[in-house]
Amino acid sequence: MSTSSAGQAKKMGYKNIRVYLDGEPGWDKAGYPTYAAKGFISKGNIVLIDLRSAEKSVAGRIPRAVSIPYATLNEKVASLPQKAPFVLYGDTTDQAMSALKDMHEAGLKKISLVQGNLDGWIKSGGETTSGPVVTTIEWKRQMEKGEVSMADFLNVTNGKATDAVILDVRNKDESAEGKFKNAISIPLDQVGNRMGELPKDKKIYIHCTTGARADMAAKELNNRGYKAFFLVADVKCKANDCTI
Amino acid sequence: MKKTLIKFIPFLIMASFLTTGCTQTGTTPKKLIAQHGTGSGSRSVLLAEVPVYMGNVADVSKKAKVIAIEVGKGEAAKTILVKFDDKTKGIENAVPGHASIINYEMRGGEPWATVVKPKLAKLPSGVTEVKTAELKTMMDKGEKFTLVDSRPAKRFAASNLPGAINIPSDEFEKQANMLPENKDELLVFYCGGPT
Repeated sequence: MSTSSAGQAKKMGYKNIRVYLDGEPGWDKAGYPTYAAKGFISKGNIVLIDLRSAEKSVAGRIPRAVSIPYATLNEKVASLPQKAPFVLYGDTTDQAMSALKDMHEAGLKKISLVQGNLDGWIKSGGETTSGPVVTTIEWKRQMEKGEVSMADFLNVTNGKATDAVILDVRNKDESAEGKFKNAISIPLDQVGNRMGELPKDKKIYIHCTTGARADMAAKELNNRGYKAFFLVADVKCKANDCTI
Repeated sequence: MKKTLIKFIPFLIMASFLTTGCTQTGTTPKKLIAQHGTGSGSRSVLLAEVPVYMGNVADVSKKAKVIAIEVGKGEAAKTILVKFDDKTKGIENAVPGHASIINYEMRGGEPWATVVKPKLAKLPSGVTEVKTAELKTMMDKGEKFTLVDSRPAKRFAASNLPGAINIPSDEFEKQANMLPENKDELLVFYCGGPT
C-alpha cells in the first residue's frame, strides 16, 4: 500500500518521496510508541488503562478508563483479556512504554498509547470524568464476519436446531480422542477433496481447537458455494463430550 | 503474433508488482519465465510454466500443514488453501499478513506448495527506503516532513506512528489534498508490513 501510494504521489509531481517499508510493525518492534486515534480511545471496543495512582484517577481521567496503577500491573497482567486491544496512559510516556513492554511479554499483542497521556488528551479537546475509579474490565470480543455465535453452535450440538451441521476440521488423531457426537470429521487438509460429504442446503458450523483452522475451512467452503461459519473458541474433547 | 504477446507478459507481471503494495493482492495464474536471446534482435523463449499464487497469506496452520492465501481483487478475491509438506521450500516465508508468492503443483486435484517466497516491494524509481533508526532521528530532530499512513482508517485509529496522517491507499486520489501544497517537501509513506 505504501509503495503504491508513493507511486501515485510521484505521478502528482512530488519530488521528494521515501517509504518506510518496515511500517507500523517495525516501529512497534523497535520499542517505539504508537498512538491511538481520539475516536478509538473514546468509542473503540478497547480496554483503556490508566496507569497512574488511583488517587489521580479519581481526580480526573479519560472516560471508560480502568484504574491499574503501574505498581500493580504485574499481578493483574495474567487476568487481562488476551484478544483485547489495549490503550494505555500514565504519568509519563516512559511509564506507559514500560507497561506496554510488560504486557507484550505476557503475550498481549494489540497495545497503543494515548499521545501525551492525560495532558495530551485534554489538549486535543478530549473530555474527562472524575469520581470513584473502575477496576473491573468488561470487554467482549466482537464477532468477526463469518463467525457463528456460541449459542447458535450449541443449539446444533445439542440437537435443538437442525438447520445446520457441525464440521470438525481437527486432525484425525485429535478427533479420535473425542468429538461432538453429531459432528462430521474432515481434517482441514482434506476439506478440498471431501466437501462432497457436506450438505449444501444446510448451514455448516465449523470448529477446531481455537478457530484458526475453522476460519480457513469456512473461507474455502464459502468459495465453493457452501454456507459455512466458523466458531472462535477453545474446544477440548474427550469421547462424546467437548468443553468450550 | 503469439511470440510478441509472450514477450510482453514479463513486463505485465512486472507492472503488476509495481502497482501492488502491502496488503493489496494480485494474482497471476501462470508465471512465465522468459529469456532474451542473444544475437540480432531480442527473442523471448518460453522456458517453463510454473503456476503461482500471489497474494496475502491469511493464515498458516502447522497442525494441518495448510497455507490460506488471499488472491484476486474486489469481486474476484478469494482465499485458497494450499497444502505443504517437508519438501516445501521457504515455508518460513509464509507469515500471516505478509504478501507471498507460492509456486505450486497439482497433486490429486489439490494445490501443493513447492516454494514459498516473500513478495518484495518494488519502490517506484527515485523513491528510497527509510529505516527505523533514521526515521526516529528525523522525528527527534524535528525535521519537516509529512508522514503518511497508507493503511485503512480502522488500523490507523488503533495504532499509528507519532505525527502521522492517514490516507488509505485505496482512497489516495480522494484524499490527496491532505498532502502539502509544496511538491518539494519530503513525504514518507508507511503501512503495515515489509512489502
